[in-house]
Amino acid sequence: MTLAIAMALFVGVLVGVSRQFNGRLSLSTSPMIASFWNHIVGFVFLTLVGLIAGGLLPPGISDIPWYVWLGGPIGVIFVASGSWLIIRIGAVNTALLVIGGQIISGVALDLFLGSPMALSASAGGVLLILAGVALTQRR
Amino acid sequence: MPATRPNPLHLLLAFLSGGLLTLMIHFNGELGRYGNALFSSWAAHATGSIAATILLALLYLLHQPVAAPLSKPPLWAYLGGISGAATVMLTSAAVNTPLALTGAIALGLAGQVTFSLAADKWGLFGLPSRKMTLRDAGAIVLILAGSALVILFGKGAA
Repeated sequence: MTLAIAMALFVGVLVGVSRQFNGRLSLSTSPMIASFWNHIVGFVFLTLVGLIAGGLLPPGISDIPWYVWLGGPIGVIFVASGSWLIIRIGAVNTALLVIGGQIISGVALDLFLGSPMALSASAGGVLLILAGVALTQRR
Repeated sequence: MPATRPNPLHLLLAFLSGGLLTLMIHFNGELGRYGNALFSSWAAHATGSIAATILLALLYLLHQPVAAPLSKPPLWAYLGGISGAATVMLTSAAVNTPLALTGAIALGLAGQVTFSLAADKWGLFGLPSRKMTLRDAGAIVLILAGSALVILFGKGAA
């Protein structure tokens, strides 16, 4: 269990490290160029892992609906916006505001998809997040 | 770069960015159902590389300043993609522990904020250091508490 907790915490660290690296690269280039290299380097790395581990191409690849492939292009904008933000408002503010947006839009998506949800807990959580976001905006 | 407080433009972009992340995780999760987590991340990086190339080409054709050669970036700065790719693999490993998806997500957010505190305090990996205020601390507590409430008691708890 300790190993599981350490792994889950480290996932968050990796997210932060990646944003820090891409932010540094965009300082010398631009957020879009940082996002470009992030995807190219990640692709090469995952290709190597896939060639070693195998099973990169699943059999049902032609059955995948077209819109599911949009995850990659969306990620390009996500990485570029994170790189733009972190050099302007810092790592803590970027992490907090993106997390806030992620959680609130996640609740909205679940409502849209009709996924089961404890509405009072979700509504309370959204209110707390909005209060925290308001606090970052006050001068 | 001056250490500014977030203004409404930053807030809007960050929230849109968080919304994009929700959509991206949703689509990549669907992609993973046809293969595995490695395939999902690999395919997303492939389509992302193509999309980024097209976007950069469009910016170039529109004569936008694609790159102002401010300074030469250190070589390690190009390696953010490896950390991003490793995130996907470690996530799928963490989800398959007794923590399950909700526990893994909640701890992941905690790890992310903890790292960002260290990054701002010491200016890690070439970005400027920033001082934390009491108000920042309040925002952290409120946003993390709200996120924990949604993740642990809101989603799928009904």
